[in-house]
Amino acid sequence: MSVVELTKLSPQERHKLVSLPVNGQGLKTLMEAGMIWLKTNQQLVNNLNVFPVPDGDTGTNMVLTMQAAFDEIENSGDENIGQLSHAIARGALMGARGNSGVILSQIWRGFARALDDQPTMDVKLLAEALLEAKETAYKGVVRPVEGTILTVIKDIAAQAKVSAQRTTIFTEVLADIVEAAEASVERTPDLLPILKKAGVVDSGGKGLFCIFEGMWRFINGDALDKAVTEVMPLSEMKLEDTMESVEPGQDYEVVIDFSPESTFNLENYYDELSKIGTSIQVGEGDGIYRMHIHVPLDKRYLPIDHTMTQGTIQKVMMENLVAQMEGKKSDKHPKINLAQVKADETAVVAVSPGPGLSRIFASLGVAAIVQGGQTMNPSIKEVLASFENLPTDKVIILPNNKNIIMAAKEAASMTVKKVHVIPTISIPQGISAMFRFIPDAGLEENTESMIEAIDEVETGEITTATRSVEIDNIQVQKGQVIALYNGKLVTSTDNIDTATEELLIAAKTCDYERITLFYGEDMKLTHVNALADKIRSIYPDHEIEVHEGGQPHYQLIIAIE
Amino acid sequence: MSETENNYNKLGSVLIQKEAIASIARQSTLQSYGVVGLAPKNLIESIHQLLKKDAKYGVEVNFDHEGLLIDLYIMVEYGTRIISITNSIVNSVKYNVEKTIGLPVHRINVHVRGLRISNMD
Repeated sequence: MSVVELTKLSPQERHKLVSLPVNGQGLKTLMEAGMIWLKTNQQLVNNLNVFPVPDGDTGTNMVLTMQAAFDEIENSGDENIGQLSHAIARGALMGARGNSGVILSQIWRGFARALDDQPTMDVKLLAEALLEAKETAYKGVVRPVEGTILTVIKDIAAQAKVSAQRTTIFTEVLADIVEAAEASVERTPDLLPILKKAGVVDSGGKGLFCIFEGMWRFINGDALDKAVTEVMPLSEMKLEDTMESVEPGQDYEVVIDFSPESTFNLENYYDELSKIGTSIQVGEGDGIYRMHIHVPLDKRYLPIDHTMTQGTIQKVMMENLVAQMEGKKSDKHPKINLAQVKADETAVVAVSPGPGLSRIFASLGVAAIVQGGQTMNPSIKEVLASFENLPTDKVIILPNNKNIIMAAKEAASMTVKKVHVIPTISIPQGISAMFRFIPDAGLEENTESMIEAIDEVETGEITTATRSVEIDNIQVQKGQVIALYNGKLVTSTDNIDTATEELLIAAKTCDYERITLFYGEDMKLTHVNALADKIRSIYPDHEIEVHEGGQPHYQLIIAIE
Repeated sequence: MSETENNYNKLGSVLIQKEAIASIARQSTLQSYGVVGLAPKNLIESIHQLLKKDAKYGVEVNFDHEGLLIDLYIMVEYGTRIISITNSIVNSVKYNVEKTIGLPVHRINVHVRGLRISNMD
């Protein structure tokens, strides 16, 4: 039975599925419920990451591991719980991704070992299996770090043992386990200082909790595909994004930090706030709550009055949004309109260092942009996130920088989508490749013609030297303007114009037809136009184009074709 | 000085011994899930280890113009997915070393020297 079918079952039927003793099919159902609930909360778990490491998406890693485990049993009709749990363990082992995924696979491995050769499982056996799961998980590491998923499985196992002595009803034990897991997750910041500092709970522990909670929700008849409205951790509140959506009339932004009273009811609080204003967010961390709201001028003190009835206010921030927006609008760039891809079309993801270049890529049919370039390489996670939600499974990535190709390839290897990386090492190469792109042509066809296009353009870059150096007999002083031709240093001078002229000579511009200048965020348009005029007088037969690139550090990126 | 790395400051330079980098890498490796121990790089080291505790045991630190080169020699728990474990080690060692020392890590090679079997399935 699929999940959709399962959720149609009445609570009585659900209870029956896991009534004692639980057999293989009962476990399979529970596993599926746990996996779906984890998937629903995947983003929530991902957001708890405190280490900025490339494989750090705990939620995604755990979901993929659970999915691999479930794939192994999906079509199995095995009634024998021992055999089925071994299949789960095998699937989890083979599909284990990331640290938390490996630990999760060990948990299922221990679980399976305890159920070895058992046809069914009662509560005593469940407690034993969870204990073995914990033992196995701890065996995998010399110096276990507490305040992680390990602590949570330990607390779960301990609770299961106690509960199994108290009752013989499976659902009661499961309820106790979920409660213990939740409490254990809440305690993780006390055990691991880095979590406390970041104001979050442990992501792996939270993921494990979600799996058990999913099983419990299923039995209870709660929805599994919709996340509950919950207070988010403080670190998850994206207050800067709320500026994007200021509604007319909502002139004031109010942010209040407060410690709630014991009778605090989040839903009532939310309801009351929604009568006052919009863009409401409530976050929690370190024992305090933070509330954010947009309100009209005459209601600007109401959130404070209301919050005072709910707890002790520690800090209030109030800002006039209209003033902020006006200040922001002047330097704000128009919105970028990305191409909308259909299910069977090929989508292109481009890495772009500046807003101007992003707009150019978008106008050429790019479906997603990843911010990044020479000085700020995007992580594998960012690249992956850019295309994971596109409605197609055919994706082409344009890294547009030598240092980003690896991350792009890693991202390609981590997804189930078919992803090709076109090894573009510069913006002009990316744009040149983009000119060849046809959305409804196949992935292979596009890839082939886009790779061909790379060699049809020469790249020039003008930037400022960040240190003194000597390369290929060219002396460079820190702060001088340098010109790079296809990544190689050609000259260093004291002004941008000379550097550009020398670059064009080195690039044998005479043999080409068109010069395009993309100017960076530090360049003035008047300066670029004067420079373009100068180039026009030197190369009267060439077509010269000037575009805003908006990239940092590089005054000019030049395409010669 | 082949044993140290330089890091200039207005008032002088900071020198970091390879041993210091090695012990950070070592700690970070041992805290990684799936690692059950470090292993000697070679016979000489295994004899050396019998005589004296060494922070560099199982870890080798070198550097080139692009940054640090770290080699880790490890034992892994049987029944775990080795590729996932080694990926995690590389990430966490890189993160911890770069964060604490401030020098870029160019390469990390993980040598799985053996598996420890606690339980046969």
